[in-house]
Amino acid sequence: MKRRLFIASSLSTLAGCGPISTALSQNQSVQRVLASAEGLNHALIGTRGLAREYRDRDVDRNFRVNGFATPSDAHYAALAAGDFSAYRLIVEGAVERPRALSLAELYAMPQRTQITRHDCVEGWSAIGKWSGVPLSAVLDAVIPRADARYVVFRCLDNDGAGNLYYESLDLHQARHPQALLALRLNDAPLDPDHGAPVRLRVPTQLGYKSAKWIGRIEVAGSFAKIYSGNGGYWEDQGYEWYAGI
Amino acid sequence: MKEAAAAPAVYRYAFLTRASHWVWLVAFFVLVGSGLQIFNASPNLDASDKSDPARRVLAIGSPRDGVGTTSIFGRTIVTTGWLGWTGDGMGSRGAHAFGASMTIPGYQDLAGGRRWHLFFAWIATVCWLAWLVSSAIKGSLREMILSPDDVPKLWPMQMYYLKLRKTPPPHGIYNPLQKAAYTLVLFVIAPLVVVTGLALSPGIDAIANPLTVVFGGRQFARLWHFAGMLALLGFFAIHVFQVATQGVVNQMRSMITGWYQPQ
Repeated sequence: MKRRLFIASSLSTLAGCGPISTALSQNQSVQRVLASAEGLNHALIGTRGLAREYRDRDVDRNFRVNGFATPSDAHYAALAAGDFSAYRLIVEGAVERPRALSLAELYAMPQRTQITRHDCVEGWSAIGKWSGVPLSAVLDAVIPRADARYVVFRCLDNDGAGNLYYESLDLHQARHPQALLALRLNDAPLDPDHGAPVRLRVPTQLGYKSAKWIGRIEVAGSFAKIYSGNGGYWEDQGYEWYAGI
Repeated sequence: MKEAAAAPAVYRYAFLTRASHWVWLVAFFVLVGSGLQIFNASPNLDASDKSDPARRVLAIGSPRDGVGTTSIFGRTIVTTGWLGWTGDGMGSRGAHAFGASMTIPGYQDLAGGRRWHLFFAWIATVCWLAWLVSSAIKGSLREMILSPDDVPKLWPMQMYYLKLRKTPPPHGIYNPLQKAAYTLVLFVIAPLVVVTGLALSPGIDAIANPLTVVFGGRQFARLWHFAGMLALLGFFAIHVFQVATQGVVNQMRSMITGWYQPQ
């Protein structure tokens, strides 16, 4: 009898967890407490070391498309139709020398190739060979001012509701040697699904930090006034800004 | 309480033991529920570094609306309603590997699941380490750990449980099988789950790549992490069965108040 009572009460406790977890999941104060782990993880793990670099034979020839596919808006379609010859990567904000870089100018800068794994927040991984300009080289060209703290990437795609995709890194992350403005994937120019003409690659963090279709780089002291103020499109949907775990 | 008769009650569990036991129970179930939420975002487990369908060990999916399937080492069974095609927490069914009644939050929300998981991972780990260090210092940990002397007693104890032997082999507070289970959970499975969880982190992979490599790569670490969770659930099921059959009131009271009534 006692045993049956015990098992029955255990089961009813478990059954009660659904509504409780839903209520707690929608409680702002609870969520703020849970989100405190992000600061701890950022402080302890941070951006150190180098992501593992692989061999050519490890590469996924059909690299899985992460996030959204080709942007649908007319501006992007026009750029793509012209083989991105009209494309300019605008780098501005808290910098001494703002620039508007064409693809030819980007290709003329020092290049880096890295075969790294893309770890998606969903749980899958793929390996790609990425070539392009180290982000630090672009930052060196524009010279961030003393008040600069973040590098914000404004993308060329919108989510259908008119919100442009964006992402951000702090200057330490942006200066990481593997933080790359990729122009090529697996020895070919990026195709639109993979972020043509320029995408970010940050192999020390989850894939959503590696924004595609970058149109403008804004060096800033803060991202608090951009959209919901969390530093990125997915961050505004509740994902962590520090995506090292 | 009929069993409360002869011997005087003994104070068996220190406050830290009782507190960490219950905190760990809550943390474990939050971690399982939020872990299943995270699993649902990519409901495959591969024995490889990058995702590789050729090395897929477990795949839960929905080949078409209304049908859920589960494949283990390529053998597929229909699991509609249980796995693959399950409740979405809002009154209907959809293509979710684990149903909303088993996930935290109780609806599809990867970001929410991650928040719960990454917070309670800290709670569970700190709780486990604090208890481990404290009971090692106090010396009570030794009573729970399998020693070489216990090994020959494992089989007689199993025989006793199966009622093929009249008396258990002589032992202290914990019998040899209990010690084996605690040793396995505390020193093998719990660390495995923590370390394979860390191995999934691209930030930690950059700091300590060998950690990911020893488990066979990132996807393989995800497989180990999932298997460790199943092992802990198995321990939990046996543990609850034992508590329920070995004087549930006495057992529960001792883990709440600390006082245990020897039989």
